[in-house]
Amino acid sequence: MDFRKKRLIFTVIAYILSILALIATLFPILWIFSISIKTQRDAFSMPPVWIFKPVWSNYVKIWQTAGFAQAFQNSVIVTVIGVILALVVGIPAAYALNRLSFRGKRFLTLWLLIAYMFPEFLFIIPMYILYQHLGLYDTQIGLALIYQVFVLPFAIWLLRGFFEDVPIELDDAARIDGCTRFQTLRLIYFPLTAPGISATAILTAIWIWNELTIALALTFDAAKTVTVAVAGFRGYASIDWGGMTAASIVSIIPMLIFAAFAQRYIVEGLTLGAVK
Amino acid sequence: MSIQAKPLAESKHASRQVFNSSWLYIGPAIIVMGITSAYPVVYSIVMSFFNWDWGLKLDFVGLKNYVMYLTDPTFWRVLGHTIYFTVGAVTVEVLLGMALAVIVNRLGYGMGIIRTLLMIPLMVSGIIVALMWKILLDPTLGIVNYFLRSLSLPTSAWFGSPSSAMPSIILVDTWWQTAFVFIVLSAGLRSLPQEPFEAAEVDGASGWQAFRYLTLPMLSPVLLTVLIFRTIDCLKVFAIIFGTTGGGPEIVTEVMQTLAYRTAFKFLFLSRSMTIMVIFSLIILAIVMIYIRFGERTPAKSSP
Repeated sequence: MDFRKKRLIFTVIAYILSILALIATLFPILWIFSISIKTQRDAFSMPPVWIFKPVWSNYVKIWQTAGFAQAFQNSVIVTVIGVILALVVGIPAAYALNRLSFRGKRFLTLWLLIAYMFPEFLFIIPMYILYQHLGLYDTQIGLALIYQVFVLPFAIWLLRGFFEDVPIELDDAARIDGCTRFQTLRLIYFPLTAPGISATAILTAIWIWNELTIALALTFDAAKTVTVAVAGFRGYASIDWGGMTAASIVSIIPMLIFAAFAQRYIVEGLTLGAVK
Repeated sequence: MSIQAKPLAESKHASRQVFNSSWLYIGPAIIVMGITSAYPVVYSIVMSFFNWDWGLKLDFVGLKNYVMYLTDPTFWRVLGHTIYFTVGAVTVEVLLGMALAVIVNRLGYGMGIIRTLLMIPLMVSGIIVALMWKILLDPTLGIVNYFLRSLSLPTSAWFGSPSSAMPSIILVDTWWQTAFVFIVLSAGLRSLPQEPFEAAEVDGASGWQAFRYLTLPMLSPVLLTVLIFRTIDCLKVFAIIFGTTGGGPEIVTEVMQTLAYRTAFKFLFLSRSMTIMVIFSLIILAIVMIYIRFGERTPAKSSP
């Protein structure tokens, strides 16, 4: 009896603490959203206004000003190119690292880990100079390419984990039945690891969409991404809360939709390396 | 004889084919990594021995840049800020994330939805997190100070004062990244076997004892991975500082990456900026190596 009572109390405390954590997590975003649908006067009033009539003018305004729509479009394009590049290059590489033998394999594995460790500015300045020469500075393709410095090791590392789950006997069976390596990859690995490949694509997309440091240095105007556009509001932080909050909310929404639909994959991807 | 000879020839042929096709699979990755990471690293190392400021003049200066930074008190101060931020943020996030994982794991009804909602900050870009908190922590118009005032608690200048700026940034990072620790450790907890815990409960072990002597040792490999990832990310911090304080007030929140950014893009000392990053990369490598060494030793020590 005492035992069960103690358990019940613990459960009640666990619920209370979880709800507190939820409030701390969600309130900031909800508050920022509420500012984005307030008039300028309501947004700056102190004490804050809790009940008000929502206005959507901030959202209309940001789409019309400062190339925000262009930046949003750039982010979509860079994310799509970046994810495709990471998968097209990463899937065969992950397969090779798991199942084929070649010279320099250990070195390559180590390099993938080390590249992920290095700070962005180690890569940014040389790439800035190279891109100026090649005409890739401030282009969507150039940005999608330089993102591979972090995205590719990350994707290969995740994919390797998922591919490891495919029993090697299946590989051998397919080979004996006359499949080429490529057919094995296409007919055995793709269907079996589709959830893993999706998880990799989603996490890669989130990473690219949210990246600021590299985009800030390697774009100027034409290929400016949504994070750089939002960062542009930094200087006006004290005056234009409406625009800044509306821009923030707009750029969060695609990732929230992702999270809602692919939550399980995201968790799987995030936990893969650590729990194995 | 002929039966034996044929497979031999075939296998020889096959092995050559495997050798060739391996490069077909791994080649693109090597090319992409070569352009995007090997080339810049080599370039940075080479340029760190020169003096260059965007102009045409390029002077070989040997170790001068290194000597300059390694004897510069400001450089060490900035490194100190970076370590301060990393130790602070990683400690708070790991403790909080661990507590959350244990707590949420106890829930029955609603566990899934709570876990999903707690994950939301991870979907938000660092720069947006920074700007959000700049509004929330505004000294006069921010909602946080309003709450503190209504509860008659002392308010703070948050990002505005030298003593509270860095703790405020640690707070922001905690809101942003604790979910990562939470998610990974939750998965770790669920992967643990149940029997030892049932046995411990029957034997009358307290919740804390079960945590200390069962959960923690069994979870330590996962914990180490989480620590390594959070440490690397925190050392590389840029967006949340760029978006909140920009390194100020004065330079109390200047970290290695914001220093490299200013050195290259504000003061236009390109090669010096690369020197900073080469030194810093070596420091990150050393720290990660210490972790891995430590991790190799722990399991042996904790096993009975």
